[in-house]
This record gives sequence, structure tokens and C-alpha cells, in this order.
Amino acid sequence: MNRLAEILDEAALTGRAVPRLTDRAALDVPAAYEVQRAVIERRRERGETLIGVKMGFTSRAKMVQMGVDDVIWGLLTDAMLVESHLDTSGLIHPRVEPEIAFLLDRPVRNPADAAAAVGAVAVGYEVLDSRYENFSFTLEDVIADNASACGFGLGPWHSPRDVGNIGLLLEVDGRPVASGSSAAILGDPVRSLTAAARLAHAAGIELQPGWVVLAGAATAAVPLPAGAHVRVSGAGLGHVEVTTR
Amino acid sequence: MRSSVTVSSSVTEERETARRAAAARLLEAHASGRPCEPVRDLVGDVESAYAVQSLLTERWLAEGRRPVGRKIGLTSRAVQRQLGVDSPDFGVLFADMAVPDGEEIPAGAVLQPRAEAEVALVLERDLTHERHTVADVIRATAFALPAIEVVGSRVRDWDITLADTVADNASAGVYVLGTRPVALGDVDLRLAGMVVERRGEQVSTGVGAACLGHPLHAAVWLADTLARLGSPLRAGDTVLTGALGPVVPVAPGDVLEARIDGLGDVRAAFAPEETEERA
Repeated sequence: MNRLAEILDEAALTGRAVPRLTDRAALDVPAAYEVQRAVIERRRERGETLIGVKMGFTSRAKMVQMGVDDVIWGLLTDAMLVESHLDTSGLIHPRVEPEIAFLLDRPVRNPADAAAAVGAVAVGYEVLDSRYENFSFTLEDVIADNASACGFGLGPWHSPRDVGNIGLLLEVDGRPVASGSSAAILGDPVRSLTAAARLAHAAGIELQPGWVVLAGAATAAVPLPAGAHVRVSGAGLGHVEVTTR
Repeated sequence: MRSSVTVSSSVTEERETARRAAAARLLEAHASGRPCEPVRDLVGDVESAYAVQSLLTERWLAEGRRPVGRKIGLTSRAVQRQLGVDSPDFGVLFADMAVPDGEEIPAGAVLQPRAEAEVALVLERDLTHERHTVADVIRATAFALPAIEVVGSRVRDWDITLADTVADNASAGVYVLGTRPVALGDVDLRLAGMVVERRGEQVSTGVGAACLGHPLHAAVWLADTLARLGSPLRAGDTVLTGALGPVVPVAPGDVLEARIDGLGDVRAAFAPEETEERA
């Protein structure tokens, strides 16, 4: 496990893609999550702190494409939070997608509790950067690779509200390139939050106050070029911007 | 000189005959409920396709159908790319196409039905300028409503090009309007989320911006186009501005619910294939 985690961690640090782990090792889903934990452990040893979780495969199209019937999750650290600028030169093949984010204001002790623990909601984006060559992977590969997590940004926090059908628009250099509704996230991003609580609970991890939950993408991810200005807007939630170099 | 005039008039005659044949084929499919072969070979260019559409409209007006507005089609980049076009199209809405919210759409009412959620605008002023601004359209709009358009193709297996669908009244079928009018000032149509659900499962999602960047942009295009053609939008007209997300295939018995954030919800209920006998 540690050897596999090291391969992925090195790929992220050097910005060089690697072949799929499943090409060299037999991995099932529990083992893949063990690799993911080991990858995060290496980040923590470098001083990074856990600040939330991200959900993946939250759209029906993606589940069908991957042949799965459940969502996956990954962990977010403080080093992944992007403020207003992002240097993409160290990344492999970054993509960006619009997200709905939840901020928890109390611990989630069980999945039934999740929605009530939300202190604020925001529009956000996630930068994905699979460590695998050609962004090509099996379910187990992508779980081991921390669900392709690379970075994320958040718009202004708003008081909790219905985010079940929020229009989201992603613009690159002022031109719309992707748009959709938050309903594409499991029908309602709150369901993704509940799934996050369930997966965390099963893994023996308690979602903490102050943690962010990225509920999943409302559109397909689009390539994130260098030297671009990206803005993600959410109806009633304002927007978040990032400039890449 | 003389011979060239003869040639061009016979070309015109040939074109007219072909247009009438295309219209007859589509009208027969509409009347019989049996889809027909494509008409593109008879139609030719887009202008000619609209001429065929006009023949259909004339026939239907003669039958006493009441026109109540227009629908705009091909408003998404994805669909435009699919058909290799860079412009929307339009068709005519008749009063008998309107189905009340949630009431059953009879089996066979629409050939090869597919559903899409849209923003409907209802006008209170004519739009007769040669070119219109967004401000003109906003001032002319009484209110917006959520809508489900059930499109259908008279052409077999939806085997259509731009010419086929334009000739075929832009594949118009029936439509359902929501019942709570919303003023344009009270809704952000660009960022309005859209979801269509069937039995609680989302089958299409989208956003206002997916319709030519903004549903009002589509309406401006329609107003300009119709004014140029000499049949402008009028006070009282309903305008279906175009799909906000992917079209949904429909099966008998389906009940689809569409929700557009800020506009409300609307339902399209399709009759089961066989009417069950009750003992």
C-alpha cells in the first residue's frame, strides 16, 4: 500500500503522470481507499491539515460511464485550497468543474445528521488532476488517487438554503464553456452530503466542524489552461474566480 | 433571353411542385399518425423549408386551427453542432397543442414524442420592428411561465436535417404551460437551474444560459426573424424559447415534472399505451 501511495504522491509532486496502479497490482475498493489514506498520510507528514471531503461520480452519466452505482469520496487538505491564483505549471492535465460546497458548523455524528450540520453554502470549483496517464483509470485507480483531487476554490459563504436546482455557469476568459443545474448532483447536492457522511462514518472518520464538503460537479469537467481567467457563478450565490499562470 | 426565362420558370414550377409534395407527405404523416420518409430531397435549402412549413400552416389555418404563438428550436450549441447549423429555427404553435398542467396527453397525440423543459414568454405588445433589442422584448413580455414542450417528428426515426425539421413545423408537438406567471424582473433566467424528473429520478438538467446564452436572446432572434418575414410576433402570443437541457425520450405512462428555479414547476403526463378496462 505504501509503495502504491508513494507512486501517486511522487506523480503529484513531480507533475509526471504514471501508468494505472491496477495495471501492476490487484486492487479492490477497500484496498484502494487504503492507498488513498496512505497518500493523505504522506501529505500530513509534510504538514498539511485535513479540511474537508470531496465527492465524485455524483452524476448519473458518470456512474454509467464508470459502471458503478455509488459515489466515491476523497479528502481535502489546506494545501489544496486555491485563493485567487493557481500555478498550473506543476500540474499534469488539470481540469476544472463547478461545484456546490457546504461548510459544516458542527460534527456529523451520523448520516441522518448531515443536513442539519450545514452552517453555510457556497458556489465553488474543483480542479481535478488525475495522476494517471491520459486521465484514464478504473474505479479502484481513481479512488486510490484521492478521486483526482488537486485544488478547489470557494465563493462567498451564504446562509443555508435550498441548493437543489441552482444554475451554475463556468466561464473561461469571459466566455461560457459549461453550464448546468446543481440538480445534476444526485438530484440534490444535499444527497451527496448525506452520502459523504455515510462513507465517512463507515470509514471511522467524523466530519468535523469547519470542514468543507464539495458535493460534486454540475457539468462535465473542462480543461484548465494556463494564463486563463476562470469564473464560476451560481444563481443567488455570487461567484468565485481564479487566474491561472 | 426568351429561352432562359422559360427555363427559370420551369425551375420555379418544379420547385413549387416539390414543396407541395413535401407538405403533402408531412400532412399525411400528421393525419395518419404514421411517420413518413424525410423530405430533404424535395425541400432543398432552408428558405424553401420555411416555404413548406408555410404550406402546412396554411392548411391548418384553413382547418380552423387557431395560431397562438411560436416555438424556437435548435437553441443549444450541442444540437446545432449535431445538425451542422449555427442558427435556431422556429415553428407555429396552435391552441389545440396546449395541454393543461398535469392533464393526460393522449397516446398518439405526438409522433415519436420527446420532452424538453423551456421558458415560455407571453407577450402584451407587438414586436414589429426590423431589429429588436433585449429591452424591446422585456417591455413586450407580460410574464414568463415554466413549460414542457413535447416535440415530435413526422419524419421516421427522427432522421432529420435542418431542412426536414424546419419543413416539419420545427418538430412541434404539444406543450404544457405552468400556471403561475412570473415577471421578468423577479427571475434570473440566465442562471435559472432546470431539472426534469420522472418518478423522482432526474432525467435532464440544465440552466437558462444553455438556450443561446439567455432565453431572451432567443426571443430577440425570433422577433427579428418573424418581422423580416412579414408575420411579426403579436400581443397575446406565447413564445417557447427553447430547451434548457437535453431532450428526454418519452414512454407511454410517463409523468415528467420540470422545475425551473424562480419560475416554478409543470407536469407532462402521458397516457398509458393501452387504456385499461375497468370491470
